[in-house]
Parts: sequence; C-alpha cells; structure tokens
Amino acid sequence: MDLEEAGMKQTWKSWIIGLTAASLLLAMAACGQKKSGINLVEDDGGEKTTVNFFGPLGRSDPDSGNVAVSAQERTIKMAEEQLNAKMDYRTYMAEDHTEKTYDDVVLDRIHNNMDDLYLLNPDTIQILGEEGELVDLSSLENTANLRDVVRTANTVNGKLVAIPQEVVAYGLFINRDMFEQYQLDPPNTPEEFLECCRVFKENGIETPVGANRWWLECFVLAHAYAQLYNGGDTQEQVQDLNSGKIKYSDLLRPGFEFLQELIDEGYIDAKTALTYEAIDGEGPDFLAQKTPMVMAYWAAANSDALYGKPDFSMEVIGFPSSYGQMPVLSISGYGVNTDGENREMAMKMLDIMLSDEALKMYTEINRVISPSKNVDVECIDALKPLKQRINEGVYVLGSNASMKVEQWGNLCLVVRKLMDGASVEECLAEFDQLQQESLEK
Amino acid sequence: MKERENRKFIIPILLVFCLLGFAVFSVARRISEEMSRSAIENLEESLKLIRNTIEAVYNEEAGFQKMLAAELAAMEEPENFILAYNRNKTMVKLSLVPAGETQGVSNTGEAFSAEELDFSKGYTIGDLPISKSYVNSMGAWAYTMECPVIRDGEEIAKFYVEYIYESLEDVLPDKLYNGSASIFVMDSDSQRLVLKPKNGVERSAGNVNLEDFYRGNNILEEDIQNEVARCIQNGKNILFYHDIQGKASLIYMWAVNEGSVYLIGFVPIEAIQREGSAVNQNILIVVIIMLAAFFLCCGVYFFNERQQARIRKEQEIEREIYSQQLAEALQAAQIANQSKTTFLSNMSHDIRTPMNAILGFTTLLAKDADSPDKVHEYTKKITTSSQHLLSLINDVLDVSKIESGKVVLTLGEFTLNDLVSSVDAIIRPAAKARRQEFHVSVKGVLNEYLVGDETRLNQILINLLSNAVKYTQEGGSIWFRIIGLPQRSSQYEHIRIEVEDNGYGMTPEYLVTIFDAFTRAENSTTNKVQGTGLGMAITKNIVELMGGTIDVTSQEGVGSLFIVELELRIPDREIDEQFWAKYKISRILAVDDEEDARKNIQVLIENAGIRADTASGMEEAMALLRAERAQGRDYRVILLDYKLPGVNGIELARIIREEIGDSAIILLLTSYDWEGVEEEALNAGIDGFLAKPFFVSALKEKILELQRKDSGAHDPKDQGEMVSIRGLHFLAAEDNEINAEILLELFEIEEATCEVMENGRLVVERFMRALPGEFDAVLMDVQMPVMNGYEATRAIRALDREDAKTIPIIAMTANAFAEDVRDAINAGMNAHVAKPIDMELLKKTVNQFL
Repeated sequence: MDLEEAGMKQTWKSWIIGLTAASLLLAMAACGQKKSGINLVEDDGGEKTTVNFFGPLGRSDPDSGNVAVSAQERTIKMAEEQLNAKMDYRTYMAEDHTEKTYDDVVLDRIHNNMDDLYLLNPDTIQILGEEGELVDLSSLENTANLRDVVRTANTVNGKLVAIPQEVVAYGLFINRDMFEQYQLDPPNTPEEFLECCRVFKENGIETPVGANRWWLECFVLAHAYAQLYNGGDTQEQVQDLNSGKIKYSDLLRPGFEFLQELIDEGYIDAKTALTYEAIDGEGPDFLAQKTPMVMAYWAAANSDALYGKPDFSMEVIGFPSSYGQMPVLSISGYGVNTDGENREMAMKMLDIMLSDEALKMYTEINRVISPSKNVDVECIDALKPLKQRINEGVYVLGSNASMKVEQWGNLCLVVRKLMDGASVEECLAEFDQLQQESLEK
Repeated sequence: MKERENRKFIIPILLVFCLLGFAVFSVARRISEEMSRSAIENLEESLKLIRNTIEAVYNEEAGFQKMLAAELAAMEEPENFILAYNRNKTMVKLSLVPAGETQGVSNTGEAFSAEELDFSKGYTIGDLPISKSYVNSMGAWAYTMECPVIRDGEEIAKFYVEYIYESLEDVLPDKLYNGSASIFVMDSDSQRLVLKPKNGVERSAGNVNLEDFYRGNNILEEDIQNEVARCIQNGKNILFYHDIQGKASLIYMWAVNEGSVYLIGFVPIEAIQREGSAVNQNILIVVIIMLAAFFLCCGVYFFNERQQARIRKEQEIEREIYSQQLAEALQAAQIANQSKTTFLSNMSHDIRTPMNAILGFTTLLAKDADSPDKVHEYTKKITTSSQHLLSLINDVLDVSKIESGKVVLTLGEFTLNDLVSSVDAIIRPAAKARRQEFHVSVKGVLNEYLVGDETRLNQILINLLSNAVKYTQEGGSIWFRIIGLPQRSSQYEHIRIEVEDNGYGMTPEYLVTIFDAFTRAENSTTNKVQGTGLGMAITKNIVELMGGTIDVTSQEGVGSLFIVELELRIPDREIDEQFWAKYKISRILAVDDEEDARKNIQVLIENAGIRADTASGMEEAMALLRAERAQGRDYRVILLDYKLPGVNGIELARIIREEIGDSAIILLLTSYDWEGVEEEALNAGIDGFLAKPFFVSALKEKILELQRKDSGAHDPKDQGEMVSIRGLHFLAAEDNEINAEILLELFEIEEATCEVMENGRLVVERFMRALPGEFDAVLMDVQMPVMNGYEATRAIRALDREDAKTIPIIAMTANAFAEDVRDAINAGMNAHVAKPIDMELLKKTVNQFL
C-alpha cells in the first residue's frame, strides 16, 4: 500500500465518520423534542406578583419606531426579570379635547386606587403630592444619584414623590433654512422674537409660531421666571411667593403680556391652537415648512416619527427671555400609589428602573438628559444650543413642587383661557386667586 | 464526445429534479392550504370562545342585577341598601331612581341622573338595556345596565349598575398565538377601544378608537372600511386579510352580545400558520438533506472518476515516456551501431593506411636494401607509420577501458608547472611546425601544487591542444589558459582550463556528437587530418571521472573554445620555508608590464611564504631597488619580463647589474625561445631564463640549477644524454620469436648482450644456473606460456641467492595500463616498460637501477 492509497483510505474514513456523526446529530435532534413525565403542562414557577402601571402610552416592542417607549419598555423588562414580577399596562388617551384628559383620568384612578404605579405630569405630581396619594421615594437606593434639579422639582412637603427617567427640556424648534432665507438670527430676547415674527409675517407666513393647547405656557414661564431661577435668590423668592409676600401676578405679568402680544399680532393662531393636540396639530405645518417655529420637548428631535427627520436644517433653542435663550425644564415622573395593592413591588421595580444601569440604557437609546448625575451622553447637533444653555445652568423650571401653587398644570389652563379670549388681567387675577387659596390652606 | 455524454447524464437528472421539485412544491402547498384553513377555523373557535365567555359574564351580571332588583323591590327602603353598598371590582356603582323622578341615589352618595347615560342604541343584555361606554369617575371605561324594580306588578324605580371593562381583563387571553395576536374590546356605539390587553399593545398599532386602529395599521381602503361599518351596523362578524406593519395578517372584528361590543385585533398569518410553516420547513430540510446527500454522492463519484482519469493520464504519460525512451534507446543503438560501422570502416581505413605504408616500404626496403639512403628513408617512414598505428591502438584500448568502467585515477601530487611544461614541450613544436602561434597563460591560480592524476590531466590537455593544432589552419593561433576560479572550499583549487583556436571550427550538428565515441569531424578540409575519433570521448570521460565538466562552443570558420572546469585538491604541505632560508631569499622583485602577470606572480610567491614586490617598468623597479638598498636590504631574486615598455628585460638587467652588482639572481621571464638572445642576456648579467607562465616550482628548480652550476655539479638532464647500456648482459623472457629477434638486434646495436628464454620457467631456471653478477638485469615479458612474468618474478625473488632480491627485473610487456604497472611492481619487479620497445626509455630505466 503506497502513501497515496493510504491517504485515500484516510479521506474515506473521514467522510464515513462525518456522515455518521451528522446522522446521529439529526436523529438526536429529532428525538430531543420528547417531553418526560406524564403532566404536559409547563411549570411557570407559580403566580408572579403583578404591578399595575398606568401610563399615557401602551407597551411597545423593541423594534418600534417610538424609541421613548422602547427604552422605557426595556427598563421595565429589566425590573421584571430581576424581581421575577410582572407589570400590567393600562393606558388612556383622549380622543379629542372634549374628553377627559390623561391627567383627569390619572387623578380619578389614583383616588380610586385602580393602579400601583403611574407616570405623572408635573401638575398631577404637585396635586397628588399635596394630597398625600404618592409614596415618599427618598428611601429608594438609586435616588442618591439624582440631580438636584430633579429633587427640587419633585419634592412636595419634604417628600420626594416622583422620579423621572429623563429630564424633559422644552425648547423652540426653528427651521434654520427659513431664518437664513429672511436673514434672521435665532432670537434671544422677546423683542428679537417679535421682530423675527414680524419679518416672517410680512413675507407671507401667516402663522410664524405653530402652537397647540399644551405648551404655549413655555413662553410665559421663560420670560416671567428667567430672573426667578437665574437671579441667584430662587429659594428666597419661592418662599416669598409661598408666603404671599410677592404676588404671582407681578412675576407673571411680562410673560402673559408677551404672549398676548404674540396672539394680538397674529403670530400665534390661538383659537386653532386651542383645538390642537401636541405635535399632531402644528407638527405637519412645521415639517412642511409652512411654519418656521414650534414648541416641543427634547426627545421630539430624536424621534423619526416626530421631528427627527426634517427636510431642512433644524435647530432647537431656548425660549426668548431677558436672560437670553431659556430652556424650560419640566420634570414629570413615576409616582407610586400610597394605597396601591402592590405598592412595595412597585417601589422595587421603580428602583431598578431608576438604577444607573437602566438610566444609561434609557439615555443612550433616547439621547436625552438623564436625571442621574452619573449618566451623560452626546446629543445630536440640532439639540446642542439647548444643551449648552442647560450645561451653563441657565433654565427655568416648568414645575416646582416647592411652590404652593402648582405651576405647569395651572399655567396651562390659564394660558388656555388667554387663548380663548380672556384678558391678561383676568389671567393674572386667576393666578392671584390660586395664590390666595394656597395661603388659606 | 465527453461533453455529449455529460449532457446525456445531466438531462435525466434535471428532469428527475424538476419532477421532484414539482411534487414537493405541490405537497407543501397543499399542506399549507390545509393548515391555513385549519388555523382560521382555530382562530374563529378562539374568538367564539372569548365572545361566549364575555356574553356569559354579561348574562351573569344581568341575572345578578335582576336578582338585586327583586331584592330591592321587596325592601321597604331600598335607597338605604344602595347607600350601604360597597363597590366591588365588577359592580362599581349602584344607583336607584324612583319612578317618576329624574334623580336618584348612588352608593357613592352623589345624586344620580340617568340622563347622563345614553341607552339610545337599544342594545340589551338579556332584556336589560345597556348604555353606551364612557369613562367613569374612577377613570376607567365603564357601561351601565338599567333594570326596572317591580313591586306588585308596578315599576317603582329603575336600578342602575355600573360595570367597568377592566373586570373583563382576565377573559382576554394573555398570549394569543404566542403573544403575536392583539385583541381589544371595542364599544360599537362610540367605536372606542374600551379594553386593551393588559400585557400592553403597541401605541403605533392604534389603541384609541377604530379610526385610530385603521390609521395605526394603515387600513385605509374605503371598501374595507365600508364593509366593516356595514358589519358593525348589522352586528355581524368580519375577518379579512391585510398587511400590518409589513406582515400579511388576518384582521378580525367579532361581534359580542349581538354587536354591542366587538372583539377587534389582528394576527400575522405566519403566527397562525406556524405548524404549517414548521411542516414545510421540515419538508424543505429533508429535501435539502436529500439533495446534499445526492450531490455528495455525485461529488464522490466525480471525484473518483477524476482520480481514475488522472491515474489513466499519468499511466499514458508514463507509457509515452517509456516509448520515447525506447525509441531513443533504439535510435541511440542504431546510431551507435552506425557509428561503430563507421568506426570500423574508419579503422579499416586508418589501420590499413599505415599498414599499407609499412608493408609497402618493407617491400621497397627488400628491393632497395643496397641503397643506404633509401633504406634510411624507408625505415623513417615505416617508423612514422608504426607510431601512428600505435597511437591508434592506444586510443582504441583506452576507450574500451573507459567504457567498461575500468579506468582508475592514479592520484598524486604534481605541479602546474610540470603539467604546463610537459604539454608545452609537446604542443609548441607541433604548433611551430604548422607555423601557428601558441599562447600559454596562467591567471588567478593560488596553488600550483595540486593533487590529481597528472598523466590523465596531461592526456586531456594533449587531446584538446593537439586537436586545436590539427584543426587549425597553418599560421593560426592557439590559446591555452589556466584560470583560477573562486574557491568553493579552501581545500580545493577550482580551475578552468581554456583551449581556444581560430581554426576551422565545427558545425552545430557535429557539436552535438563531438563527445560521442567513434565520431570525427569530416569535411574537405579536415579529411586530411588523421585521428581515431576517440580523443574527445576519452577526454570527456576522464574529465567527468575527475568530477569536472567540459563544454565547447564553436563556429564554423571562426574557431572553437573548449572549457574544462575541475576542482583539484590542494595537498597538505607546509610552506617550504627551509628552501628560501637556505638560499637567503626573503623577497623577490618581479618586473612585468602586464598587470595580470604581475598579480599572478605576486600571489604565487606570497603563497610560497615570501614577500614579492612588483613593478610595471624600469622606473618603478629602480625605485623599489633603491628603496630596499636604502634600508640595507637587497632583493635576492629579480624576475624581469623580456618585453617591457621603453627598455627590454635584457637592457634593464644590465642597468640593475650596474646598480647592485652580483648581489641578486636575475632571471628573464619569456614565453619565447631564448636561444636567439641567450648570449646577449648572459652578457647583460642575466643568470637564466624562466618560461612564462611563471611558477614558483620552476623558479625553485632554476635556483637549484644555478646553485649546482655554481658548485660545479652536473644537471641530471645532461646526464640523460650520456645514458648507455653498452657492455651490459641481460636475461630476457620473450615468447614471440620475432620480438625476441628484434630485441637481440636492438641490444646488439647498443653493444649489449642478451639471452632470451621462451617462458618464465626457463628464465627462472636460467637465473638459478647463472653465476652471481652474470646478468645485470632481467627483462620480463608478462604474458607467456608455462609460467607468466609475474610468477617468474616471484619465483626469482623467492630464490635463496643473494642477487635474487637485488637484481633489477623490468617488465617489458604489451600490457601497458596503469594497473599492469601496479601488478608488475606488486609481483616484485622494479620497473615497467611498455611494448613496443622504446630503446631510449629502456636505457633510462635500466640506468636508474644500475
């Protein structure tokens, strides 16, 4: 037997061994499906504790276009896996403005102990915090990492009643191409803003500012509270407001008057805006470049379904104020129902959802501002002007739970009245009334 | 042909595959359709089950409400029961409105008015009206059922119970079709989605109302929407296909409670046809495995075929090679045969020619015996012819010996000087006779003392050079060069021998066979040349035996160049410092205008262990001489080339003598005959001549010769001329009578005597009888009858006589090879002289031992 013959034999042997192994593997794979035992029901490890979560949006899958929900979903999954618990979703969304709002439904549900965990807007945080419906979350391990601004905004009567997964910053989304077309610079002050609107209007743009019934109060907040939050004596002024030493009408007047002027000049179509839901109403005009400016929150610039893929050069800047471009930070958050059936599990799950690991994942997916001091990610170019101001410490809070008068919700409602034809004086009087009621409590 | 065969093979395979593919496709499709139908039926069953469950819950609620109404009818103050009721998860609000009033009481404590509720659509559960869905005070989607409270056949009040849809959550399956199916409860009046899956649903799928559902799932076709509206209007079910998020899906809207609410949602087709897909996938896997197995078999088959084809091809190639080799061998044999035929023809011619001369002149000799002049002329011609005949025989024998592999090299130490001198001594006169210029040069050789078979080397050179002389026209030139090549090993001298001429040259055809035996270049010019045609074959064989190479280039009419490359061992000898010390020679001056010659001299002298200075002309030479003298030293030997620029060697010698007197030996280097200038040179103070090319051994010999001359001793060479065997008495063994007679005659001429015996035994016997000193030497033939020469020699040497050991015994035989010489010496003989007898050689040999 020569070498070549031996090599051939070796090759044949390899083939036979390979084929035998493949056949065995297939046979094993075919037989591997068989279950052992008599009972064919899979043991799921017993009933899991179920936490009812009420939020404005439904669950989403990780491939969903809505990255915000996807990121939230992942943190919930993380909590479910770590605690071997389950979270059931309940949602509500109003069909139109004539129906109960999400906030109304939240208040009703929490008063009737329908759910354990809620995603709350700033105004409901204030109300429910005052009512004692929300658990103090200070005991959660991961609250140690929170930024001061978050703690300040959501502390009611010394209790940290809600914690967000992101700090929502509102800004003015501008069509940079249209500004350049009319040789305009992004406005810093109310005067510059009015001038920009005038130029746009004169050039045939009917409504320079696209608005909806939710976010117009940002103009009032930015202009009116610029000095309050950036003047260096915030604590004192808040105390003076809470004690009635300073009247809200004095602080809010310039903001309302500025908004009134915008409405009067026709730069904002208040009547139409009053019927618009956020983005659904004014968004299409902005994307179609019929409107050069709209208001929106940070994450809208990241979402392809919202303002993430404009056909023009977009930039997000702060609202006009005497302190320059002013971001408005609105701190929403998760709150746990004091009388919820599964309150303890809801708190544990929330703690995991707010861990640095979970927040890092959330922040990286959504490219937002994290409430944790330990998490920071790079943002897209369009958002850099807004982020720069926030990094400089220049911003106003949309909601401040340390103020006796709830700001975000009340201002929203009062601004709606202004939009509906009420005078500035009437609006201011309503705020003074709210201040008076808070003093009487 | 092969392609056509392949095609024949492939077409049926393709057909089988097509049929197989069609069959598999048909089966898979049928399975898929059946599974699909089954899956839809399964889905319908699931929806029916959910519907029935919800309707059962409704009926339970209605039944319980009726029972409570009956209880209330029996109560005195039913309002108190209402107010005392604590809500539960199902019945969250109880209200009672007395007949004839618009407001009543609720268990929440608030006033209740039925006007807030919308019963206009007329849906009922059992026979109880059910309101349009709404968001209640708990923030949950709810509906209310109205039930009359009848006492004694009279309606005393209406009893309202509010239920929330969230109480039906558990009815909806968690993981319908493994979670890929979505299912909502829709209020058909408001078309709001009042109950959503508790494990959540994608917001993008539209979860607000039917319109949102259409939008979210991109169901925008008007005909579909109209059909759906018509079905909802009539409380009918509808099931239709539509793409949802890029996946083909089945959308269902299933009426519950005669259409008061609907189960709506969708499921991707792939989810409900999972089993079908799995079956199809398994079929596909089996088909793939079968295909793979088939292709594997084909692969193995084709691989095997290819291997076989390769082996066949290799065998064919091998056969072709064998055939070719056989053909070549046959051709070679034919050529050899033809060559031998030609050779025999040549031999016949070449032997007959001198034989003819010998016989012819013998006849003439007999005829003209009286004329001494003619006898002298005839004998001279007979001698020439005989010598040619002898060389012819020698060559033939040499070739046959080489071819039979019997040649053994006899290695010994020799000097290049001796080799070149002996060759020069033979070739130069021959060249001169043909008026040819013969140039000899040695360049780059580091060692002139070498180990090798000098005789065979001589034979190579003589063969090449005598050919060059033979095949070069009169007046032509011949160059003989020995060139030292870079050494491959420090123990071997690598030399190249070049023999070049500008003679007739050779045809390319002849060049191919030049080294084959029995071939001879023939044309009209060379036909005059005599030769055996064996010289080059012998030469090549000897060169190869020595481990060397021989190459030839030639152009007809231009000339030829033979190149032999050899590696010869350098002997392990110590530098002969004693020789130079004895004659107080520590430095030598060499003057030559040729740089190569200077370098050659310098290398050879320095290799001999003494210093050599060289100069290219008179000025340089004188400067060196003076510089040495200035330091109190003198050159003991000065070598001068004859041809120098400006002044020749003789004149320069004269100038040097004037400068240094007799302190040095001055030798003239020349490649020319010095006889013409000898006297002038000696007068100029030159001590002697050295032939170019220069060799240290030649220099040493020359120095010894001069010293002997000075001391009055004779040159052994001169003694040779005096060799004689006059008066000596020899005992000879020779079985051939003619040879014996010739021997006696020759000895007589030399005035010596000889007794000839017919065989070895007789020689031994005669020697035994001889007186001590009666014979001066024994000349012993080898091949003899009775006792051969070797045996006879051994017998003599074995005799118990004093002179038996000492008497010179000289082999005188036609066995002329080296091994014959060796055998003779081994047998106890003193020397070997080959036949035919060369009397001069015999005399010299005899004289060596006497």
